[in-house]
Amino acid sequence: MIVFEFFASLERLAGARELPFDGVYATVGEALGALAAARPELASLVERCACASGDVIVRRADPVPADGRIALLPPVAGG
Amino acid sequence: MEVLFHTPLAVEPMLELHAHPECGGLALFVGTVRDHHEGRQVWRLRYTAYEPVAARVIREVEASTKERFDVPYVRIAHRLGDLIIGDVAIVCVVRAPHRAEAFEACRYAVDAVKHGAPIWKEEFYADGSSAFVEGCCIRDDGHDVPHVLPRHPTHTSHG
Repeated sequence: MIVFEFFASLERLAGARELPFDGVYATVGEALGALAAARPELASLVERCACASGDVIVRRADPVPADGRIALLPPVAGG
Repeated sequence: MEVLFHTPLAVEPMLELHAHPECGGLALFVGTVRDHHEGRQVWRLRYTAYEPVAARVIREVEASTKERFDVPYVRIAHRLGDLIIGDVAIVCVVRAPHRAEAFEACRYAVDAVKHGAPIWKEEFYADGSSAFVEGCCIRDDGHDVPHVLPRHPTHTSHG
């Protein structure tokens, strides 16, 4: 099982801080694809999110973290 | 050293005025909360962060700035939580032997943190609504996503 953690605008859009998600996925990208398919209203923002596990950034091609938790980090203000 | 603070930032203790006798320059940037954004009146802000990565990014920016500009001291602090107009949001201090590298390093470090750290700004407007300000992806593995990791702060700032 995966647990997606939502922050900022994605937390607001999803209406939750985290989302437990059934299934077994090899990579972060596969897990995000399943999330986007199940919650199409989140898909475009998810596409623009960086992902993290603990204090490290994980990329789409990386394996799903051992603890199954994937933090989704939306764009920042930047300015 | 802490880099993220849920309480008001104090600038003075960050200056280390007497700790770097070889330095004749101190560049200080203080970012404060302004009362407008894209034509809308802003009443207050809330900064939230994914703290494990935000803290690590800021520490990496401090280290990479020291190395890149060959300066002995770079210190960055970012505020989180609820802020009102005029509150201090970010402080960056650079000590350097001379002013040129102090100014350049300070600007580089602030830009790198703004573009790379997962810290979100939610603005609250006069009509009671609020919005997250999103100008800059921190994702670095997308096809159409510009690279904006700390070492490549190439994004155009709109702030």
